Amino acid sequence: MFANFRHSMAWLHTWCGLALGFVLMVVFFFGSLSVFDREIDRWAIPDTRFEPQPMPSFDKMLRPVFETMQPDAAARAATAPLVDGPLPERFDTPRSWGAYTTHRDPVLLLFAGYEVPGAKDHETAIYANRTVDPRTGEALPTDRLKLGSEFFYPLHYSLSLDWKNVGYWIVGFSALMMLMALVTGVIMHRKIFRELFTFRPKKTTQRSMLDMHNLTGVVALPFHFFFAFTGLVIFAYIYFPVTHTQLAPLHDRHEQIEAKETGLPHDRAGVAAPMASVDAMVAEAQRRWAAKGMGGAVGYLNVQHVGDANGYVSVYRAGTDRVQLTGEGIHFKLSTGELLREDPPPTLVARINEFLTGLHLQHFKHWLLRWLYVLGGLSGCACIATGLFFFVEKRKRHHAKHGVSGARVVDALAVTVVTGMLVATLSLLIANRLLPDLMPAGWPLRGAMEKYCFWGAWVLAAVHGWWRTASVAEGRLAPAWREQCLAIAVLAVVAPVLNWITTGDHLLRTIGSGYWPVAGADLFMLASSALAFMAARKLQARAARPVTASNVKLEAKHA
Amino acid sequence: MLDAALLLGALLACVVGMGWFALSLDVHWAQVRGSAPQSPALVKALRLAGAAALMFSLVLCLTVDSPSIAVLVWLMAVAGATLAIAFTLTWRASMLQMLVFWTTSQGAR
Repeated sequence: MFANFRHSMAWLHTWCGLALGFVLMVVFFFGSLSVFDREIDRWAIPDTRFEPQPMPSFDKMLRPVFETMQPDAAARAATAPLVDGPLPERFDTPRSWGAYTTHRDPVLLLFAGYEVPGAKDHETAIYANRTVDPRTGEALPTDRLKLGSEFFYPLHYSLSLDWKNVGYWIVGFSALMMLMALVTGVIMHRKIFRELFTFRPKKTTQRSMLDMHNLTGVVALPFHFFFAFTGLVIFAYIYFPVTHTQLAPLHDRHEQIEAKETGLPHDRAGVAAPMASVDAMVAEAQRRWAAKGMGGAVGYLNVQHVGDANGYVSVYRAGTDRVQLTGEGIHFKLSTGELLREDPPPTLVARINEFLTGLHLQHFKHWLLRWLYVLGGLSGCACIATGLFFFVEKRKRHHAKHGVSGARVVDALAVTVVTGMLVATLSLLIANRLLPDLMPAGWPLRGAMEKYCFWGAWVLAAVHGWWRTASVAEGRLAPAWREQCLAIAVLAVVAPVLNWITTGDHLLRTIGSGYWPVAGADLFMLASSALAFMAARKLQARAARPVTASNVKLEAKHA
Repeated sequence: MLDAALLLGALLACVVGMGWFALSLDVHWAQVRGSAPQSPALVKALRLAGAAALMFSLVLCLTVDSPSIAVLVWLMAVAGATLAIAFTLTWRASMLQMLVFWTTSQGAR
């Protein structure tokens, strides 16, 4: 079928890359934004624009908050089908209370899980979440969408398609195919080292796109490989759900045995017990970490079997000083404060898993490395986008000559996922600044409206992309690219200006006070605006350039 | 502050190192110094210097951070430096003359 091995690899690279490149573009772009998800949250929720806070006192502040928490209507609706009979008005038996923060979070995320009376499966739990200001314990409004951590981040790993985890499967399959595309790409590329630094924008569009595709693909090859691979490792439990299917009895038995070995009770005793000072337990955990020469900030605090004689408290360290996602957990008896267990050093396999997971999830405190991750992610976007451009450039004249619309369809889809995605993202940020704090009666909640604005803008960009790529069917450059670049240039200025008008936080103030989460977001948008404007001008110049016979000949030679 | 200076030094060492690697290739040497091909001795010297600069950068990264973070910073810095050199060669190739200031176009064989 193919003349040689390299040709077969080229076929695989081209068609798998084309089929899944659109998904990977979304994954890479929102993954890049997710590196600064907490900072984007600050931009989107002005009430949270203050410095990151340490874990507050559990005894004085968190416990009273936990005691008032109850599942919301959405959680109740999701749980109702899992229960025989009606749900109770209140859930009175907390299974666990958890508090989570990072070195970048001014706010604290709390979640409480409750036993569900009458549940068909006795392990069913219902959860309540709350985000609080750790300085006062006051709850933040529940209808504020955390754009970074609750919208862009889930888009990165699940495309926000939650039905039967279908989004996770699409992203996982795409990551697997990306690994294959990286390997086949290396096999296809004859001059990896000789052309490592080569980019020739003055050559034909097709040649320069291939140069950029090779350059951005090769320079960040280790980054692309490790991120695709570690993404698969993180969600391996979804892709191989054996512990809850074929091996479920073994899994349940293992949990019981592990609970006996560690001394951390698996179930409630059914005997009420008072709660000792959790703050004293946290202080003891920090003393033990300090004795090992480790930083002592608490990242995650969990109280299991609340109010029961079997209750215990787990204190985990925020591992900001290393790549590994590690907590060095220390566990105490809830009723007495007695030390139950200090997690032993992880096994070799566990250490590898912690490293691979931490590499991807980046809990470390290192701003330079964060920016370098963004560079790696955006180079991935550039690699995928130029791969799509190359596909179109290579075929559009041939397709035009034979009346085939393949190149036009690919170009329209590429417009949608490259510039269209940026238009949608900026529209969401603008909607975030323009929507009223309280939506009128009968309207969806503010957070839901923001999401509708995002999807609506993306659909409009797709329609525009389809409409304004008709010229590709005639072998010419589509004006959709230039027009959407201009739209990005305008929107990326409008968003920071609206931030200034609605919050008073203009760049002079945020830079002057050193508040980089908001200053960085504004500067990033302004830089994007400048780049988009330059791209629009270049595209205009290229569109105005007459198609010469030599140009066509050169491009045909590569086709 | 010292850590920031050391990391800046690591980034610069990466850029310089990748610049020397690029200049050891005839096509980029020609972009920077004209069309004369360089001598084999200079090619070898540039590649050795490039490797030394990258090693120096890694040492600086290891001085600042734990090994797991330092290696990641270094790998990504090398990627960033490669892009920086590629774009410099595309739009401002003459800027890289400073990396081979001791040679002259006439001196190249």
